[in-house]
Amino acid sequence: MRFLRIILPIVLLALCFKVEAQLMDERELYAMTKQMGQFIHRFNYEEDTYGKRIYQDDADFRSAEKRKTSLPLLFDLNSPRTNGALRDYFVEDVTKKNNQFFEFLGGNWFSEVSAKFKWKGKDVDISLIMSIEQEGLGSKWVISNVFFSEFQKYFPQGELAEREKHFLHPMSHELDFMNIYKVFTDPQIVEYYASTDYTPDYLTLFFYEIKRGNLKFDHVEKVKFHVFQINNWYFEVSWFDRSGYNSGWLISNLVYIKEEEKDLLLKLYQPKK
Amino acid sequence: MNMKKLLFAIALAFFALTGYQAFAQEPEISPERKQAIDSLALEKVRDLSKYIKLIGAKTTPWSEANRVIDRAEELFAPDAEIGVSSLAKTTVDYYKVRQYLERLMRLNYDRVEIDWYKIQYVSDLQRQPNGTYVGVITIFQTFKGYDAEGKLVYQDTTKKDITVYVKRKETQIGGRLISFWDVLLGDMRVKETTLK
Repeated sequence: MRFLRIILPIVLLALCFKVEAQLMDERELYAMTKQMGQFIHRFNYEEDTYGKRIYQDDADFRSAEKRKTSLPLLFDLNSPRTNGALRDYFVEDVTKKNNQFFEFLGGNWFSEVSAKFKWKGKDVDISLIMSIEQEGLGSKWVISNVFFSEFQKYFPQGELAEREKHFLHPMSHELDFMNIYKVFTDPQIVEYYASTDYTPDYLTLFFYEIKRGNLKFDHVEKVKFHVFQINNWYFEVSWFDRSGYNSGWLISNLVYIKEEEKDLLLKLYQPKK
Repeated sequence: MNMKKLLFAIALAFFALTGYQAFAQEPEISPERKQAIDSLALEKVRDLSKYIKLIGAKTTPWSEANRVIDRAEELFAPDAEIGVSSLAKTTVDYYKVRQYLERLMRLNYDRVEIDWYKIQYVSDLQRQPNGTYVGVITIFQTFKGYDAEGKLVYQDTTKKDITVYVKRKETQIGGRLISFWDVLLGDMRVKETTLK
């Protein structure tokens, strides 16, 4: 039954377009989710499966019933990770009260730009986390964090018991901090002497390395999106360049995650928020 | 510009002008106005498609192709760039608009066929911090290059994502200040796709 629910709209979509010699490919292009904005419109059912925009005064605008059949088409149907019971729970949950929509300016969605850089002469992979920020009369994409293994390895989590061994006692000031040299004895653990709340600011390190001329941008390898906007869910959207009626921007990963657990995860994407 | 196109442009400009007062009090562009602006933007993209076809055609005389490049260049904002990548190479090669079009003119084939799919996708318009609206139009093109024996030696299908800037401008006509929507093309991302 579930299989029919997924396949039927695809077959109908395929049949609805005129079969002309060269138009075989064109039907695939109609079905393809060509832009992330189109993904958002299709997710919310502000656009039908034939690409026609549905405006607010239309009876079908954001229709829960229509979303039940159109939402599964936004998943990568070739992957068991996005093509099983979890997806069905997601569709059911999102359409249950039909108040869960994906908003461009709604926050809590990020782009991950995987790029190649040259770091001190060698090729390295760096992921830039981008978020939409409202400013002036409109909005813009800004870099909210960066993942670079070379930075991360300088700040290992470390054993708590080990971390607790390293501190400056509370009367150190009376001795003109004569013990402060201990902070710098082992550079690998210098951050153990910072506040318990301390987290390394990788973005500042990144800018610093760029300014020093140690890091040079080369090119973008891949772009994907991480969406935390839907209550109790996280999903990832990736680009699928392939033939058939399931291509373009599609959900490539889906995770059920409680709202209270999201905050910790969101800190990775937007540490300063 | 032929008469039909001129009338079309006037009609759209009129629609944009008459709606200006209402827009001045609205933070967002209404769906009706958006459709009118989309039509203006699509007109520019269609012009670009037509020019690309003419520039690529080996039957177009060199001097004529150069004139068409001038026309095509006028569609774009001065700092617009074209970013090209292929299935074999994910790195992006950047070209200035003129450079990209001249490269197309000089391609070493005896005959080329450039066709456009009827499908296009026009995004929402989002506002930049400075108030200018920006959108993206996606179109698909097939390219076929033939040698002197008429043998197909190269073909690709590319997805072209074209930035569109929409700005409200003002001009003095007969002492009256008239507002209108100006549409300019911006950066274009050209990406080869497996779809054939």
